[in-house]
Amino acid sequence: MNRTTEKGVEILFFCSAFISALLTLALFGFMLMLGLPLFAEGRFFSILTQPWAPHLGQFGIHPMIAGTLAISLLSMVFAFPLSLGCAILITVTSKGWVSRLLRKAVEMMTGIPTVIYGFVGIFLLVPLVREFFDAGSGMCVLTASLMLTLLVSPTMILFFCDSFERVPVAYGTAVLAVGGSEMQRFLHVTLPHSWPGILIGFTLSLGRALGDTLIALMIAGNAVQAPGSLLDSARTLTAHIALVFAADFESLEFKAIFACGIVLYLLTTLLVMAVRLLSGRKERWTR
Amino acid sequence: MDKTVKIRTENLCFSYNGRAILCNSSMDFADGEITAIVGPSGSGKSTFLLTLNRLWEAIPRCTLQGAVEMRFNGRYHDIYGRDYPVTRLRRQVGMVFQVPNPLPMSIYKNVAFPLQLKGGVPKENMRSRVEECLRQVRLWDEVQDRLHASALDLSGGQQQRLCIARALILRPEVLLLDEPTSALDHAAAKAIERLLLELKRSCTILLVSHYLDQVSRIADSVVELHNGRLVSKAEYD
Repeated sequence: MNRTTEKGVEILFFCSAFISALLTLALFGFMLMLGLPLFAEGRFFSILTQPWAPHLGQFGIHPMIAGTLAISLLSMVFAFPLSLGCAILITVTSKGWVSRLLRKAVEMMTGIPTVIYGFVGIFLLVPLVREFFDAGSGMCVLTASLMLTLLVSPTMILFFCDSFERVPVAYGTAVLAVGGSEMQRFLHVTLPHSWPGILIGFTLSLGRALGDTLIALMIAGNAVQAPGSLLDSARTLTAHIALVFAADFESLEFKAIFACGIVLYLLTTLLVMAVRLLSGRKERWTR
Repeated sequence: MDKTVKIRTENLCFSYNGRAILCNSSMDFADGEITAIVGPSGSGKSTFLLTLNRLWEAIPRCTLQGAVEMRFNGRYHDIYGRDYPVTRLRRQVGMVFQVPNPLPMSIYKNVAFPLQLKGGVPKENMRSRVEECLRQVRLWDEVQDRLHASALDLSGGQQQRLCIARALILRPEVLLLDEPTSALDHAAAKAIERLLLELKRSCTILLVSHYLDQVSRIADSVVELHNGRLVSKAEYD
């Protein structure tokens, strides 16, 4: 490749990265602009703490923030160990066709539309939870979290598998050559070395759980309340946006959904920054 | 005087992905000697070493036939026998690779790592064993003040000596070396040669090498492989 082509490609990549960054900032700016009436009236911060009672002129979104955090964090509590276990099964403990079959199954799961998970949730999981706990309608934080677990796990598993496989073969060989077992190789070398990839997989999955609309909308119950228990119904920020958007336009209630968007955006940004910080530190530790 | 045979292979056949790499290799290796394995590239020298510590088992689509026996504690053991755990074998048969492969951890941890895996060694003993091995490979003076620095920051020659120290910490009875000096400069290679001459007092060494001058300097006997077959065996006086 000559120097001019190389420079051209470099400029092309720079432009792509620049446009992506610009679009992300533009999205944030767009939400700020549309939520401007709330800021102008000095109501933005009260929105974060007030309850949601439009008939009283209160457009607080803290129940939705609580609902979002409860459902997405609980789904990660279920999904992380499940995904780690599956990834270990695929890359460490099972060999040959079993490993390939499992991986294909997981890859296939990533392509299933969210609405299918929603249907399975409504017709299978909701009745199960309702009958097992004998409380409420079954549309609750627990059900939505379990279904979200199923939704985000395949992506997380593939990320984990990929990061395990990126560990240089020479490291693994060194462990086996001094009498280490396969599991010792995994625990002492593969797992510590895959830490950045694990963090990225976790972050992306948490981002997906935070941003998912359909599962929460279909099976979390959508009650505007901060959930007090796993069997309480809850409404997420995304479900709230969808519900308000479908029924209203122009009112202050409608403007409040842009505060939801801003909060979601900030949550995701904070998450990404925290993970970048952690993975950077971990890389320094392993050097 | 008859020499004690340390390693005995019988009709060893090895194939990878259906392609024969070793064919009917039957050889004996004397205890306390350095045996050089020579031959053109692709003749099965490195593969042969992998059959002696079963490290090939980590590679998919490989098959092995034949038998390998090693003499430990006064009697011969079938190293592929069900009653012989592979982890035990690899603690008795150390291996050093062509390209140094230090682990992404500190210099101290790299050397102590095999003992940690094995378990049952008190911390104080571990420290003295690490020092002993680093002195043995002439690395102690160079790293004693930075034992907790990353092993990946060492030079190529230092990394290779570190890998030898890591293999020695388990006090193996057999040491397999796959072209250990090919990536090193002349001085570093000489240092490793001197080390091997010292080590043969305590263990049997099998050395794959392309350098015939090196072989003539340090080997007690030479085995030549060609297309996976043993074509000659000679002993130096």
